[in-house]
Amino acid sequence: MNVHSLMQVQTSAFGVVSRRTFLRSVAAGAAISTLGWKEAITLHAAELRKKGMSCILLFMNGGPSQFETFDPKPGTTNGGPTKAISTALSGVQLAEGWENTAKEMKDIALIRSVTNKEGAHPRAVYQLHTGYLPSGAVKYPSFGAVVGKELGLQDFELPYFVNIGNRFNNTAGSGFLGMKYAPFVIGDPNKMPNNAELTVSKDRYERRLGLMKDLEEDFAAAGAKKAVEDHHNVYQNAANLVTSPSLKAFDLSQEKDAVRDQYGRSSFGQGCLLARRLVEHGVTFIEAESTGWDTHQDNFERTKTLSTPTDRGFAALVSDLKQRGLLEKTLVIWMGEFGRTPRVNGQTGRDHYPRVFSVALAGGGIKGGQVIGASSADGSDIKSRPVTVSDLFCSFCHALKINPRKENIGPLERPIKIVDGGDVVKELFA
Amino acid sequence: MRWHIATAVLGFGILGSSVLAAPPKYNKNDDPPPALTNDAWKGVSKSALQPGEIDRMVAADQEKAKVKPAPLTTDEQFIRRVMLDLTGRLPLPADVTEFQADKDSNKRAKLIDKLLESDDYVKHWTRYWHDVFIAKVTDQRERFLSLHFDAWLEEQFRKNRPWDEMAKEMITSNGQLPFRPGQMTEPDVKNGSAWFLLAYQGNDAIYDWTAQSSRIFLGIQIQCAQCHDHPFDGWRREQFHQLASYFGKLTERPVIERVNDKPMAVAQALTSRNFSEHKMPDKDDPTKGTVMSPKFLDGHSTPMRSNDTERRKALAEMIAGKDNYWFAAAFVNRIWGEMMGQAFRNPIDDMGPGKDVIMPDVLARVSASFAGNKFDIKGLLRSICNSETYQRQLRPGESSDQHLQFASPYPSRLHAETLWQSLVTVLGAMGPPVPAGRGPFAGRFSLENQFKGEFEFDPSLPPDEIEGSIPQALMLMNNPQIQRRIQAQGTNLLARILSAYPKDEDALRMVYLRTLARKPTDREQEKALAYIHKAGKRSDAYEDLLWALLNSTEFQTKR
Repeated sequence: MNVHSLMQVQTSAFGVVSRRTFLRSVAAGAAISTLGWKEAITLHAAELRKKGMSCILLFMNGGPSQFETFDPKPGTTNGGPTKAISTALSGVQLAEGWENTAKEMKDIALIRSVTNKEGAHPRAVYQLHTGYLPSGAVKYPSFGAVVGKELGLQDFELPYFVNIGNRFNNTAGSGFLGMKYAPFVIGDPNKMPNNAELTVSKDRYERRLGLMKDLEEDFAAAGAKKAVEDHHNVYQNAANLVTSPSLKAFDLSQEKDAVRDQYGRSSFGQGCLLARRLVEHGVTFIEAESTGWDTHQDNFERTKTLSTPTDRGFAALVSDLKQRGLLEKTLVIWMGEFGRTPRVNGQTGRDHYPRVFSVALAGGGIKGGQVIGASSADGSDIKSRPVTVSDLFCSFCHALKINPRKENIGPLERPIKIVDGGDVVKELFA
Repeated sequence: MRWHIATAVLGFGILGSSVLAAPPKYNKNDDPPPALTNDAWKGVSKSALQPGEIDRMVAADQEKAKVKPAPLTTDEQFIRRVMLDLTGRLPLPADVTEFQADKDSNKRAKLIDKLLESDDYVKHWTRYWHDVFIAKVTDQRERFLSLHFDAWLEEQFRKNRPWDEMAKEMITSNGQLPFRPGQMTEPDVKNGSAWFLLAYQGNDAIYDWTAQSSRIFLGIQIQCAQCHDHPFDGWRREQFHQLASYFGKLTERPVIERVNDKPMAVAQALTSRNFSEHKMPDKDDPTKGTVMSPKFLDGHSTPMRSNDTERRKALAEMIAGKDNYWFAAAFVNRIWGEMMGQAFRNPIDDMGPGKDVIMPDVLARVSASFAGNKFDIKGLLRSICNSETYQRQLRPGESSDQHLQFASPYPSRLHAETLWQSLVTVLGAMGPPVPAGRGPFAGRFSLENQFKGEFEFDPSLPPDEIEGSIPQALMLMNNPQIQRRIQAQGTNLLARILSAYPKDEDALRMVYLRTLARKPTDREQEKALAYIHKAGKRSDAYEDLLWALLNSTEFQTKR
């Protein structure tokens, strides 16, 4: 098999591919190539994933204030100066600044009674990404990696899990699930992925790859056969990615200006748009981050600045997915690592508060237009229907048709459940 | 598989009780709880290893297993391997040719001695142990604080501090480590060892201290027993919490100062709190718990009335005692695995008790001599590197999933730092130097940090579980900074080689020597020359060749 033909037909997975998979993928790729790439990719986006499901996580890094987002308490001491606005749901109000989201509330379910104990950023961020608290013994996989493993198809040439906007690349990662499911990090949604652009012509690039493989035969024969095979598989997958027509999924300039404006020209808004493009191209899990929600000082001014682009991106994403018929198969999660204190501190800020906070969900079979649970009148406690982090993760799994009790094999052959404990929040799917 | 059986039994406990005569329980609970013993050392001498002793023992075991060892390495192969292993550096063409030309029959031993005394040796092993200890630390701030630990490690390797002393200092460390966001942080060499403990924060830190001490120093994984009896190894939940209670009077906290009139964490500190005790949480109600008394894994206990200092000192003496087989064996197994690509027991940090070990007699003897020789790290490395067992070639046709019985080394990936240094050795410095100590995010976007971040892996993982990734491949294939250095222009390597060596055979040999530290094989030369002759432009062909070699498996692998 020459290199050139492999480049044409192999639709491969992200990461190391076993020899068996490799051969199978050649066959699968051959079938797709008769359809033509464009059709194969855009018309069958859902078929590029198991059960057709995908997930977009909008993560509000720093811990967003529930009072200034989805659980306003106007006219109370704890509520501060924040006003509430009415929404498409009668009787349900959001904080001012969330006007666009308010219009989409018929497709959104709010949970106002999420409760947790962890109030330190790194640990809580880790927990809200993995479902587990950090442990010295096990590196738990980020939920995106788990979903990639459960729903991604072997023979897929884009990454299963894309993380947008995490410039420091400090995600929980794929933990013990390995590199194959590691997040592919895009720092700036307006730019193509790092190092994905060829520095020489495509012909020359392929010649170089061919030369590399040709020259490695002696090293493989000298005792490094397995290492060379693994290496070439990874390189082939990387080459497939950068020379693939699907790479244009990352190219926002392909979108009309009106669409780009609808999402807002903020980094987060464009990240949401990129997430939608990636879902269309078959990516299983996309995380887009909004940062700066750690408002210990000037909470009210700062959340206003943060809410505007976030509201716009979130609302545009939900309505755009719906318009394109993708919402039913795409779970959208809006959350942060914890909420913020009911009491306003001396610097007009709010501090960390994991005891009560809000999470918003849409799509993936979630019944929109409802509010689940409530916080007490002063916002300091759960009034009804407490929902734990494990409950949340069970519910995400349910929406994505993943069994939360399925065990993956962790370090030392130890079976580790996707979610340990918790129950599906049934009201979400009623 | 026992795990599943146990869960099933518990799950159907109510149904089961009507059928079974006795209440269902773990099979393992019928056995007495495990305890660490030094049985492996019974009758084993702790004297220094004699020249050739490792080889004689290994050969005897190989004969029994009907395994034939591979031939010895050539000088060319040996110098690359030993330099990468001991110093993390790729030899230059001159190093290779001089070494080959040296007629001294003792030249390998001399090279080993020279490398062990080099500055690069210190840096390489500092980085190795940094990677070992940081591998499971997820928090950015804690990761940043490791700069103090690195400075401390460097001093230890420079002094060739015995391993038992290093371990004892880490376990009994005190003091605080500064962290001032936005300001330069000077490494604190004196207190640096405290990072072994300060790498973990919060109420669960005690579990990480316990798990890390046991895993890294003893090769014993007991952390599963934090929540329930260990399903495979039989460790009881009580045993984990008894071990944890050695850290039960220790706590870590941030040091808060007013900076610009705002309270700010400026350091992380270890403090004793002698009024408290570690409790094993109640399984049904975690707010309740049972006070545990300190007891080591070999069954020795320490009085309850002891304070934090006394407890951790007692633990350190038991862990790093010269009579503790597990402490010496864990180190030897790890280092042997690092040098050979395969250890006596894989994963290297999961050694027992009661686990299958390859050539247990060799492990017992080498670790006994390590303990008998005052845990001399350089001495151990010297014994390994001078053995024929270490100096064997790769052997063709090995399947990946078998243990090679040390008949030949197992090819393994270069560590991130070593690979970066190799790249710089070939192409020259790239990008400005990374500022040290300027906070977790300083220099974050430099090529060097991006590169190392991308290629980093946990050195405790078995080599066949360390996988390559697409972003790694993309970085070496397409990164513009690296690509610019590959071009045959200006003062770049290729421009110099092409003007100095007009004959293609010579230029080709030089490119191979620079990248892979060897001459091309006949077949490689034939293929490469054909490629060069076919290409329109000589410099283009060499750029492609250099690209191909830097992206090759071999460049990224120890062989």
